[in-house]
Amino acid sequence: MTLRRFWTLVDEMARMALRADASRFYFRYLWWILEPLLYVGVFFIVFDVLLGAGPPDFLVFLMCGKLTFVWFSKSVVQASRSIVDSKGLIGKIDLPKALFPLAVVQEGLYRQAAVFALLMLFLVAQGYAVTGAWLWLLPVALVNYLLIVGASLAGAYLVCLVFDFSLLISLAMVFLLFISGIFWDVRTLPDPAMTDWVLTLNPLAFLIDTYRQVLMFGRVPDVMHLAAVGLGAAALIAALLALMRRTGQFLALKALTS
Amino acid sequence: MSLPVAGGGIKAPSAEGPEAEIMLKLSDVSHSYHARKANFEYGIHTVLDGVSLTLKRGETLGVLGKNGAGKTTLLRLMAGILAPTRGDIQRVAGATYSLLTLGLGFQPQLTGRDNARLSALLQGATREEADACLEPVKAFSELGASFDEPVKTYSSGMLSRLGFSTALQTRVDVLLVDEVLSVGDRGFREKSAQAMRERMVGEQTVVLVSHLESQIAEVCDWAVWIDGGVVRCGGAVNRVLHAYQREVAARR
Repeated sequence: MTLRRFWTLVDEMARMALRADASRFYFRYLWWILEPLLYVGVFFIVFDVLLGAGPPDFLVFLMCGKLTFVWFSKSVVQASRSIVDSKGLIGKIDLPKALFPLAVVQEGLYRQAAVFALLMLFLVAQGYAVTGAWLWLLPVALVNYLLIVGASLAGAYLVCLVFDFSLLISLAMVFLLFISGIFWDVRTLPDPAMTDWVLTLNPLAFLIDTYRQVLMFGRVPDVMHLAAVGLGAAALIAALLALMRRTGQFLALKALTS
Repeated sequence: MSLPVAGGGIKAPSAEGPEAEIMLKLSDVSHSYHARKANFEYGIHTVLDGVSLTLKRGETLGVLGKNGAGKTTLLRLMAGILAPTRGDIQRVAGATYSLLTLGLGFQPQLTGRDNARLSALLQGATREEADACLEPVKAFSELGASFDEPVKTYSSGMLSRLGFSTALQTRVDVLLVDEVLSVGDRGFREKSAQAMRERMVGEQTVVLVSHLESQIAEVCDWAVWIDGGVVRCGGAVNRVLHAYQREVAARR
């Protein structure tokens, strides 16, 4: 299969899935932004209204973290099951197995474009200045996307191998939700050494912090760190694509007999 | 000669002559996998065992066998969806092998048009080709205005009309057909059977799995009967059908 045909399929499958998904709901495409906003609302009620601990700009702080985290977690969880869920199709045509997780990730990317637009509008409405630093959003979002693709391919492969992984992946998302600095600031940890550890070991925490630095404070991100995360994700993607290509028929058997 | 031959496998009763290009060659192909029997207990499930056959360009091969005999697995191996556990499958490089079944798992929320388009794309069409096949699909299926309504509103008959019409648009070198010929009401059934016959008598190379013995007798150049994962009989259609019917009668 040529690369062009592969991307045509990824794009078309994602668009069809979006259309099918929207037609299920009364509010249709409005849910693209409604759902992430409700997530933010839930966290805001708990950590600002209830616990009352939030700083003055907590809502913006929370949105930068939560809206990008939901992009990651929803894409990875859905993509992880995508090969197993497509066994009807897999039993009929010999398609590259990476197609299924990538179509799910693409679907999430289209949704996220709307969410990012909303986030920026909200920031402007809150009086934040649009600075040249905002251009850094492009490479940051690109690295974020690569991380999502890498994690999705890994998840899809593992779930296809042993279905039990789907439970572990859901659990891992809860863990990541708590340790990625979404409703707390990784920079205000009591021990500065711990801040370094979290940012180094958890690329998601680093990305979320970077979004905030760029959007809220107009600062240039740690380019070397960003490049390292991007390269790591790209290497993971290359390895998994090669693995899925080599084991395509084995994955089909696993999906069909799971 | 149409008996199983060691090494070379079974061949057609020289319908196309010896010079016709070999499109598919299975040599001693077996397929088995680990299946879970109970908690933490696995057993090896053998679906096919030592199947050899050769298919030449333009031939139509019929595959007979009861449910669970391994017919669908055989088609999946031929299409390259699954790999044989043992043995070897030779295909022609660059040729397309596609399994034709009713509907590639239609998405109920999407319209018939969107589903037909997606099916065409998945089967190798470009965006332009997929768009071009939509009107023929609509016309053949006789779905009319329903073609632009979500598939979830379709009756089962309408679904099979859409499935068959979409499948008919597939253009592949070797068509692997898994029981799709009898769908819809009587009128549509006859029309679809006729359309299928036209595909099969032409240059198209076909492997047809069917329970309908009359269908195999009508369109196939030769046939194999698979039972318990092995080829029980292969060669001229009449002879294979006769052996199959004798066995079915004996089991009653």
